[in-house]
Amino acid sequence: MPIENKVGKLSDITKIIKDGDKVAVGGSWLGGHPMAIIREIIRSKIKDLTAITVVGSIDIDLLIGAGCLKRLMFSFVSMEAFGLAPNFRRAIEKEGLPYDEITGLAVILGLEAGGRNVPFLPYRGPFGSDLVKYRPEFYKSIKCPFTGEELIAAAAIVPDVAIIHAARADKTGNIQMEGTTGTDIEMMRAAKKRIVSVEEVVPSEEIWKHPEKTKVPKFQVDMVIEAPLGAHPTSCAPHYVFDAWHIMKYMEYSASAETFKKYIEDYVMKPEWEYLEAIGGMRQAAILRRLAREVKFL
Amino acid sequence: MKQYAKDYTVGELMCVTLAKEIEDGDVVVLGSFTPLAYASYILAKITHAPNSCLLAYAAVDFRPFQLSFIRAESSATRGAALMWTMLEDLNSVHLKGRGDVEAISSIQADQYGNINLSVVGEYDKPKLRGPGGAGAPEVIKMHRKMIGYFPGHSKMTFVSKVDVITGTRYLIGAQERIKSGYRPGPIRYITNLCVMTKEEKDKPFRIDFLHPGVKAEDVVNNTGFPLEVPASIPETEKPTEEQVRLLREEVDPYGTLNFDFKPGKERLGYLKEMLNKELQAIGYA
Repeated sequence: MPIENKVGKLSDITKIIKDGDKVAVGGSWLGGHPMAIIREIIRSKIKDLTAITVVGSIDIDLLIGAGCLKRLMFSFVSMEAFGLAPNFRRAIEKEGLPYDEITGLAVILGLEAGGRNVPFLPYRGPFGSDLVKYRPEFYKSIKCPFTGEELIAAAAIVPDVAIIHAARADKTGNIQMEGTTGTDIEMMRAAKKRIVSVEEVVPSEEIWKHPEKTKVPKFQVDMVIEAPLGAHPTSCAPHYVFDAWHIMKYMEYSASAETFKKYIEDYVMKPEWEYLEAIGGMRQAAILRRLAREVKFL
Repeated sequence: MKQYAKDYTVGELMCVTLAKEIEDGDVVVLGSFTPLAYASYILAKITHAPNSCLLAYAAVDFRPFQLSFIRAESSATRGAALMWTMLEDLNSVHLKGRGDVEAISSIQADQYGNINLSVVGEYDKPKLRGPGGAGAPEVIKMHRKMIGYFPGHSKMTFVSKVDVITGTRYLIGAQERIKSGYRPGPIRYITNLCVMTKEEKDKPFRIDFLHPGVKAEDVVNNTGFPLEVPASIPETEKPTEEQVRLLREEVDPYGTLNFDFKPGKERLGYLKEMLNKELQAIGYA
């Protein structure tokens, strides 16, 4: 038998992500989001998705602004120091985008329950939070069968697809990450199908040299896509930092729904290599990589 | 004899006040990138709390680093003793109540120890959709202390009852906390006006310290719920000259901690200035 090859092109994501799917989006804060895949979802006009995020930022805001979502599950969506997420706010405040706001721990435990193939995980959860009251389909108060203590059950979350970005993989799908993993690994365990974009596809010999860096085994991966700078404008720690300059531009474009259409035209509806040119090309990439290297300890 | 600084910003005052909450050996968690909290923890780590264990992003027990607006994640990652996932983090720290401090902030906070990071207005028809709470709604119960910092002490923030309870301390008194398997500790808010604390469920927040130049009535008039106002309230200890020097020269030379205190229209300019300094530091621009 030949050695399997899971390497696909960005345009192949439509073989896995279908209209109406529940898609878990990896990355956290302004780091490690699978942005090249997100842009491809928009280019491919995939719609009616339910996005699942723990701590999202521009990944979720962009999907919302481009009209790809019919529902959102999140614990946090923010552009952090750059401000509140503009399309996220607009969609909820003005257009009534339906959403499930779940505490961060319940999303993580829900994904873990999905990965463990059980319907819930119990914990000493957020008693007293209104979110428990508003979304009973995700929280139930239960009694411990051993002690009688009242606990919270976090409902299992089973995404149709998980999408994450990582440093490298071999063609069989062993995934290496060196920086912030967020909930990427839990998402990969829980989801029915999984797509990973990586900075580089390397021979398996390179993976074997550093097994401690491999965070997801190949049997939890369905497709690997080589996408250098594929997390841009978010970071891929410790290889490059988030692109503050591009995010400021994004915030300007996002001032209104009208101007945001122009962002989609100028940055998304073009091949990925043209996107990388538009954001400043090799020079900008070099700056972001250099910033990630030049850190100072005290 | 301590030499107190004559020249310091309110951000620096809050930063050194928050740093005092870190005890040597504490497990300290950093959530979202909140420069003032990062600066406080790193200052504590290089001064009075060298045995504290700092956690940020996926990095555990990272070496103290020089803060910058854009490099916090890379710095924490490159100096980490261990890298783990969010699940390992909550299995090891949160669920067992092993965390000591994780300073949070909130759109609204009330007299009961509730925070609101969800919406202002009605939940289904919000005037403002906030970011959501990430870990905050639960860590404020689980960690030993609930510490909040608020750069703008006002009746908009400190309301009688939050519009939505995103999360709550829930277990407040020592007995109740111990009974549920958590360590006792106060709810303490550090604001641009004062330090105030709540220790018992049925007792109000008490003003502990007033920042230099602030009167008790300033705090009372800007708080939307009743406070305990002791007859004599000590002044918050000012930053020392050495603390200000450390912050400005070592911990935070780009001035990230003052970012939260800039009025909306000055923020973008300040941000661009910080970013230019970062480029200059690596030989670009």
